[in-house]
Amino acid sequence: MVPCVVLAVLGAWWTVAGLWPADDVTLSEAVATRNNAEALRLIRLGTNPNEPFRVRAGLLTSDYEVTVTPVEAAVGAQRADALRMLLANGATIDGNEMRVLRCYEQVRRDSGIRELLGESRAPDCDGVRLPVDRAAR
Amino acid sequence: MKHQAIAWLLAALITLPLAGSLFQLPIQVSDSLEAIVISTKYATASQLLEDSLRFSPTTFRPLRYLQTRWLLDATGAADLTYNAVFRGVHVLLLVLLVVLFVLAVRVRGQTDLAAFAVALPILIGIHTFVAMLQEAFPVNHYAEVGVCVLAVLVLAQRPPRWFFAPLICLLLALALSVIESGAMVWVMVICCAAAGLRGITRTTVATTTALLAGYFVLRHALDIASPGIGGHGSGFGATFYSSEELAQRFGAHPLGLIAYNVAGGLASLLLSEPRQGVYSLAIAWRDGVVHPILAINLVSSLVTTALLVWYGVRHLRAGRASWSDRNRLFVAASGVMVVNAVLTAAYIKDEIISPGGLCYAVAAFIACASLLETLPRRALVASVAIAALLTLDAALWTFRAAGVHYVLRYAAFKTRNDWVEVLREDKRTDWPQDPRELAVTQRIRDEALVRRVASPSFMPRWADRYWVE
Repeated sequence: MVPCVVLAVLGAWWTVAGLWPADDVTLSEAVATRNNAEALRLIRLGTNPNEPFRVRAGLLTSDYEVTVTPVEAAVGAQRADALRMLLANGATIDGNEMRVLRCYEQVRRDSGIRELLGESRAPDCDGVRLPVDRAAR
Repeated sequence: MKHQAIAWLLAALITLPLAGSLFQLPIQVSDSLEAIVISTKYATASQLLEDSLRFSPTTFRPLRYLQTRWLLDATGAADLTYNAVFRGVHVLLLVLLVVLFVLAVRVRGQTDLAAFAVALPILIGIHTFVAMLQEAFPVNHYAEVGVCVLAVLVLAQRPPRWFFAPLICLLLALALSVIESGAMVWVMVICCAAAGLRGITRTTVATTTALLAGYFVLRHALDIASPGIGGHGSGFGATFYSSEELAQRFGAHPLGLIAYNVAGGLASLLLSEPRQGVYSLAIAWRDGVVHPILAINLVSSLVTTALLVWYGVRHLRAGRASWSDRNRLFVAASGVMVVNAVLTAAYIKDEIISPGGLCYAVAAFIACASLLETLPRRALVASVAIAALLTLDAALWTFRAAGVHYVLRYAAFKTRNDWVEVLREDKRTDWPQDPRELAVTQRIRDEALVRRVASPSFMPRWADRYWVE
């Protein structure tokens, strides 16, 4: 009886308190956690896809939080589908940012991302600070 | 009465949050969107019904589109969201399954209640149940079949009444008109009759058999063939093959694969292995890595199946005439499991054997109750050992049942993300040209996107290894 009763009690608790409610995430966190639907919802609600947002520790970096743009989060999370969705929904990449992203892709390699970023030559990354390096620890 | 009330309470407390997890699943893109779009395009339901008979050369599912149409109409009439209506029906089917299970096992005392506490987690935790819950076309036809199968089992245990035959015919007609697995309702009728359950009379057997024969005649008249080897992907050994690969590999000599599939279907019910025809055990042997979920599923199923074998050997040797009502129920449930495995001849899918999964839980309840009844007559050491084994088994099944929440939340996350790929901003040329199709697609997509669901990234990290295969 005991295991079933435990599940029933947990069930009552889950019904009242809610089991695994949806987390409040920033646009960059949504992208970093493969949550393209949430990212699209936030953009449709008016969130600027070109602004940097906080990403909590453990998602893009192991032990410190970072502040990155959604596009940078997509490159860091190796999510070509997310990058494509962002670009189709208002995200832009200027020349300087493109260099940073291509250098970041060298660290977080992904052929889909590479294809979306264009250029097949290896970028010159001398002096380039990666988005996760900019973190305020 | 008190024990029955506690059984209902346990069932309610466990089902309620499960209904919540199920309701979070958005309407699926695959299997559901196309049916919804087609159903909206027709001016009349009768025209839709007429045309839907010829939508597929291998399936005969006239009510699939008609049910969708009814729900779309209900959405408009009640001013609700598509998600609320379609997922509401899904939840209703889950509740009906659990209610019918409680009615089928009929808890009568303390021992039954203890057995029920083992069997209910088996009902929910078995892999065929969660596979069934995730289906939608966009109405969950496998759950509809499950409800009809359990309803027959409930009626079969009651004294026969004049309305049983027409009611069971109605259940069979409903099940057959939504999916081919609906034939399991007839199988249940025959198994109950063969086992000697009193609610199934000769009239019921004759009328349902005539109905099934009529169904096959109609299929033949409409030139609808049954899917053969290669109609669907399926596994063999440690590998999953696509439909083309299966046809190429086994198409010329299919008997070996058919025997493998039928044996695999039965093994899947009894041992939770293979899954979709693929033996995780073979993969574990090849890779030298055993995932915890494999061990949990295998041990829980092995202990329960051993219990069923013990019950069968101990109680059924005496012959049909001396069987008790419980013996007959056990035989009917076991018969359905065996015949259900035959339906996997062409390919194995967990959903196909879901009626067998429901019967597995019913049979487990009977066997468990019987074993518990023997405890006072056994030596203390044996009693303690049996009680410990049953508690371990119950704990493993309960763990599996709790995992259904995780699997459903995971599916909700994936399904919601699937909608991002529909009506893509960068592929506007692919958008439907028909304004009605575009409007309904946009509305369902919008509904899916605004329904926030938990991300697996914020759920327990260990859950994947213990609950997801």
